[in-house]
Amino acid sequence: MSILELFNSIQTSALARFIGSLNHLYCAFMELVHITGMLMLLSSLLLTSLNLLGLGLSNVPIQVLKQSTFRLFWWGLGLLILSGLFIFIPAASSYYPNDFFWAKFILIGLGLLTYLTLYRTVTNAVKPDKWLANITGVLVLSLWLGVAFAGRFIGFF
Amino acid sequence: MSLIEISQVLNDSELGTGLRESVYMFPFIEGLHLIGLTLSVGLLFFVDLRLLGIFLPQLPVAQVLRPLRPWLLSGFALTFVTGILLFIAGAAKIIVLPIFFFKLGFIALAGLNALWFELKWGRKIDSWGAAPVLPVTVRLAGVTSLTLWSLVIIAGRLIPYLGYQ
Repeated sequence: MSILELFNSIQTSALARFIGSLNHLYCAFMELVHITGMLMLLSSLLLTSLNLLGLGLSNVPIQVLKQSTFRLFWWGLGLLILSGLFIFIPAASSYYPNDFFWAKFILIGLGLLTYLTLYRTVTNAVKPDKWLANITGVLVLSLWLGVAFAGRFIGFF
Repeated sequence: MSLIEISQVLNDSELGTGLRESVYMFPFIEGLHLIGLTLSVGLLFFVDLRLLGIFLPQLPVAQVLRPLRPWLLSGFALTFVTGILLFIAGAAKIIVLPIFFFKLGFIALAGLNALWFELKWGRKIDSWGAAPVLPVTVRLAGVTSLTLWSLVIIAGRLIPYLGYQ
């Protein structure tokens, strides 16, 4: 089964038809959940990145900041995936030819990879190397802000 | 000139038409509006959660608020400027929506809450801000801020849904 066929069968599934039959405010609700998840994920990364870049909260050890924000990152991601699925399912096929849709998933992959490797290493260090901290902050922020931008562009193309 | 007439002029202006019809500029500005939201409301929520004693309660409030203030104020500036541009692009349709005025009302109330907090508590932050559990009115200001900004976001996201049917 090709990806397009998969998307077609998702869109014609009973769940997709059920979601499609709901009031259009359902979609607004799902988008609000998506925005909530985005705020949780991005603002927790922003907070730790400001520290990594030496631009704010530099007096707090990065381990402490990471400890008090990482749950917010994962809960945010959970909300994003769940609401994202419910936005995707009723219109699956229409996303297939959308370049921004695929760009978004490449950026999510890279963002997660950076988070689980470089970011995890740096934020677990007692005193991370300054340059490594700077590079991690820039990389993690650019990738996840890129995800947000790509996501916003999907709806217009 | 009424509000509706002014909005029609903005809507039909070169800037309004250009933004509305642009392929990349409009979504780009919407993207910036979201980034501004993350900087402003996203970071402000951490301050509010500190006021409630949930985020970094071991740290004095000033040590959370002061380093974040320039970022969240820049975020509000970015959200405000991009918000004006987004309004101009759809002014004629937006100005007739009650939900738009609800959004502005919630923003005004959130602003008043912040102003009250600054005047009543912000100036002598070092004298009370070190305690993990803060005075009731301070916590109330935190809850009010969280609630009002959430309502601003909800009202804002509903604008296209209630406007373009």
